[in-house]
Amino acid sequence: MKTSRRVFLKSGGLALFGIGLAGSIPPFVARAVAAEQNKMPFNKRKTLICIFQRGAMDGLMAVTPFNDPFLKAARPNLMMSAAQSANGKSLIDLDGKFGLHPSMQAFEPLFREGRLGIVHGIGSPNTTRSHFDAQDYMESGTPFQKGTPSGWLNRALGLLQEDHLSPFAGVALTSAMPRSFYGDNPSVAISNLQDFSIQMRGNQAGTNMAAKSFEELYDKTASGLLQEAGRESFEAMKILKTADLKNYKPAEGVTYPGSALANALKQIAQLIKMNVGLEVAFAESNGWDTHFNQGTDNGVFARNVADLSNSISAFWNDLSAYQDDVMLMTMTEFGRTVRQNGTRGTDHGRASCNFILGNNVQGGKVYGRVDELSEDNLEDKRDLAVTTDFRSVFSEVATQHLHLKNSATLFPEWKQENIGLIKT
Amino acid sequence: MKRIQRISFPLLLFFGFWFYSFHPAEPPKIKFPYKAAGLNDRQAAAHLLSRFTFGATPSQIDAVVKQGLVAWFESQLNATYKDDSLKSRLGAYDAINLSNEEVLLNFPKNFQVVRMAINDSIISKDSVGSKSPQYRAAIDNYMASNGFRPQKDLNQQFINQKILRSVYSENQLQEVMTSFWFNHFNVSLTKDDCSHFIPAYERDVIRPQALGNFSDLLIATAKSPAMLYYLDNFSSASDNNPFNKKKDKKQPQPAAPTGAVADTLIARLKKIRKEKGINENYAREVMELHTMGVDGGYSQQDVTEAARVLTGWTIYPFQVNRKTKALERSARFEKEGFVRDGDFLFAANRHDAGTKTVLGKQYGPDKGYAEGVELLNDLAIHPSTAKFICKKIATRFVSDQPVQSLVEKMSKTFLSQKGDIKAVLITMVSAREFWEPGALREKTKSPFELAIGAIRSLNAKVEDPYPLFNWISRMGERIYSYQAPTGFPDKGQYWINTGALLNRMNFGLALASGKISGIRADLPALNQYHEPESSQAALVTYSKLIIPERDLAKTVERLKPMLNDPELSEKVNKASQATAGNDNDMQAANKTTTTAKPARKENVTMLAQVVGVIIGSPEYQRR
Repeated sequence: MKTSRRVFLKSGGLALFGIGLAGSIPPFVARAVAAEQNKMPFNKRKTLICIFQRGAMDGLMAVTPFNDPFLKAARPNLMMSAAQSANGKSLIDLDGKFGLHPSMQAFEPLFREGRLGIVHGIGSPNTTRSHFDAQDYMESGTPFQKGTPSGWLNRALGLLQEDHLSPFAGVALTSAMPRSFYGDNPSVAISNLQDFSIQMRGNQAGTNMAAKSFEELYDKTASGLLQEAGRESFEAMKILKTADLKNYKPAEGVTYPGSALANALKQIAQLIKMNVGLEVAFAESNGWDTHFNQGTDNGVFARNVADLSNSISAFWNDLSAYQDDVMLMTMTEFGRTVRQNGTRGTDHGRASCNFILGNNVQGGKVYGRVDELSEDNLEDKRDLAVTTDFRSVFSEVATQHLHLKNSATLFPEWKQENIGLIKT
Repeated sequence: MKRIQRISFPLLLFFGFWFYSFHPAEPPKIKFPYKAAGLNDRQAAAHLLSRFTFGATPSQIDAVVKQGLVAWFESQLNATYKDDSLKSRLGAYDAINLSNEEVLLNFPKNFQVVRMAINDSIISKDSVGSKSPQYRAAIDNYMASNGFRPQKDLNQQFINQKILRSVYSENQLQEVMTSFWFNHFNVSLTKDDCSHFIPAYERDVIRPQALGNFSDLLIATAKSPAMLYYLDNFSSASDNNPFNKKKDKKQPQPAAPTGAVADTLIARLKKIRKEKGINENYAREVMELHTMGVDGGYSQQDVTEAARVLTGWTIYPFQVNRKTKALERSARFEKEGFVRDGDFLFAANRHDAGTKTVLGKQYGPDKGYAEGVELLNDLAIHPSTAKFICKKIATRFVSDQPVQSLVEKMSKTFLSQKGDIKAVLITMVSAREFWEPGALREKTKSPFELAIGAIRSLNAKVEDPYPLFNWISRMGERIYSYQAPTGFPDKGQYWINTGALLNRMNFGLALASGKISGIRADLPALNQYHEPESSQAALVTYSKLIIPERDLAKTVERLKPMLNDPELSEKVNKASQATAGNDNDMQAANKTTTTAKPARKENVTMLAQVVGVIIGSPEYQRR
């Protein structure tokens, strides 16, 4: 065993996977090798990508019920029309009732093709209007329990069919571990995949020697925990090394925007293409707390939705060969007031909308219920009412797409109510 | 009675007397049974230091043996070192001594600055959010002319002081316990509402009582603005009290003839009522996380009732204009039960004056502030709390899975000494279980412990702590920013995962090779400037210095082949070129040598390499 390990170490790469090194290599790699004899270490997995829009997106501006007279009255400076105008800055009429923000034109073909679904009136049963609390509840998946130690995406990892997960099963492209991934199932938070290596700036020889020393030490340590994590770390590192991360070329004709979100999605696409066993990925989009000068067809909101839709659409097109295995869902902690405030913005509200993209989505439709926005129909006489519990959508998407077994613990003390968003 | 018999009978047989059992209030005495566990003085000192400091400094084991282990531990429990050198290092940080109110005045939040700038006509409403340099400059000028500073400066000073205290404080146990209790009573910088109050929370609530009494600590956290905001109790209010009933009676009467006015008034009153409400978050977490534990034996009904007891526990208003009114009001209402204590306010008009029953005991009616104090005191010394807290302490200081017998001993002390934290620690270290082989090096260092410990191991100088914070965050522990009230989990599995582990190794390499800005490690000084004869000698010498009192034979043996690599010298030469710059003659000379004593610069590079590997090694991840 010792010898074969050395051979493996010296060669270092994935080329030797096929020649029977079982026993000295980490179990997840061995299984992967057994599963597939090419240089991809894993067979294809389903991947769910979640994007948290922090700050609370104004769902009524992203997807506007454009015929609503009350909304028009409540937002004299924030309302766009769906009527075609010369400058082309009108809402994109989706179904005669809802209009997509003009800066989200990248979403229009996806919606028309039936791959993009929208749920409107989605939100939390907990009425808090605190960003922190609402995000916390949405990410823990327990809207009335602050002390829940785990996040819902971490619990989803625990409900996957495989007995053993890849070290890349759960990856957040964020600098700190998001609340959604808190928990006992291994998950990685990393903002740049290139950091996944042994590094000594400006000293390549030293780096190589150090990497070799560490690999040897961790491989032989008496601590089971450190040994296993060590082995997996080095294998994962080598897998990433085989891909030229820095010079990544997306699929032809695809250009990612230069934003942080696009950069995160691009790296997720790389992981998916490498078949490293990614099953749940997480990214963030910031800047949705639009109290001031929200704008209409241009301005801060327009820039945000343009980035969101262009990043997602680039990601989707980049993965053209993998689309059957990929599903993407956006989420935001709450929506914003129906009425515009004194600084041409909107304040913290209740329901918003979210987007779900995938070949198995019954798209081309706006799900959920949005009543006429007369004062009596609003929550606390000010906000779009929550008519769909976020857990209905999250659990349907995750359970169906990832084939979770026994999903009752995904959202504890809550009974699943599918809304029929995902093809069964 | 049963308990006393069980313990005292065999002891009576052996010693002829047993004092404590008959005088359960007598505090435990320190006794270190390490010899019975097969440890010598140095090994025992190393173990003590690994448990009650952020890592031993190079000469500390000898110093503790010289001082006497018990004497050292006593001095740590009393935390009486003056820490002059630390104080002078902290002198540069002006914000960490500010009161909560001063913090609010000096570090307004961005949106507050924007609002004020609009009110003062410095910027126009329409320009808010603009990315133009003029807008930015206007805001910056406005802040500077009003003496406002960005909140990130406050957070940075706060984080820096924690790093400096952990590295340099002589009162190491106090600082370790401060980390422990902060994490136990976790609040988070990620929650904007409470973030301003967190520096004072650690400074005034946690640190001074970290080695005090658990009840006091619990009550102090309950009354702190940081906790009141973090778990929302500041907003928890009821109208079930005489103040509101008076209003109820008053309002409809004068309005009786004119319906419209009355309707408006009543509607407004109802709206205020509706916005008020009991918030159970704190009541739930105080039982689940702070005292009894999730399986402690309380029900949802107990949570609801406890929340009623704690209604009206809120924050004394900070804004100056509201303050005078509040002062008048509280003076007027003092005899009606309002209580002010620093930034805390018990608002009797928000308190539920009715009768409540928690865990079978009645609280109230009409006892106001005293009900909450009574409840928290009762929770603090509940048997479930004793077990839960003692298990958590043993998990922190002994192993991820402390043995039941140890937790039981500690729980007994916790109860008999009414939550005296020192007494619990003394019972823990006086127990055989603390010293047994199964408890040695059983803990995995958290990223913070790894980073601070490595600096202490190398006697490195911290000139700017903040870059270290970034490393600690990258390794998975963004201090003060754990979002959930559970605090960071205290178990090795949580810290050791693929991404984090590589960063630990990189941290070791970066620290040893001087690549962490703000931190300077003088590796040759560690060995009194005796240059090791060879890379192998360096490995042996520095392993002993950095990981003392451990059997490192295997580690050394595993690393030796790599140091014997015939290509190594050349590789290191190259490395040396990269770091040493353009010293061509030296490179030329070195190329020909393979075994001779390396030149100085190259030796430093080699040393950095060896030390970096030691700090990143699996042995060093454990304590």
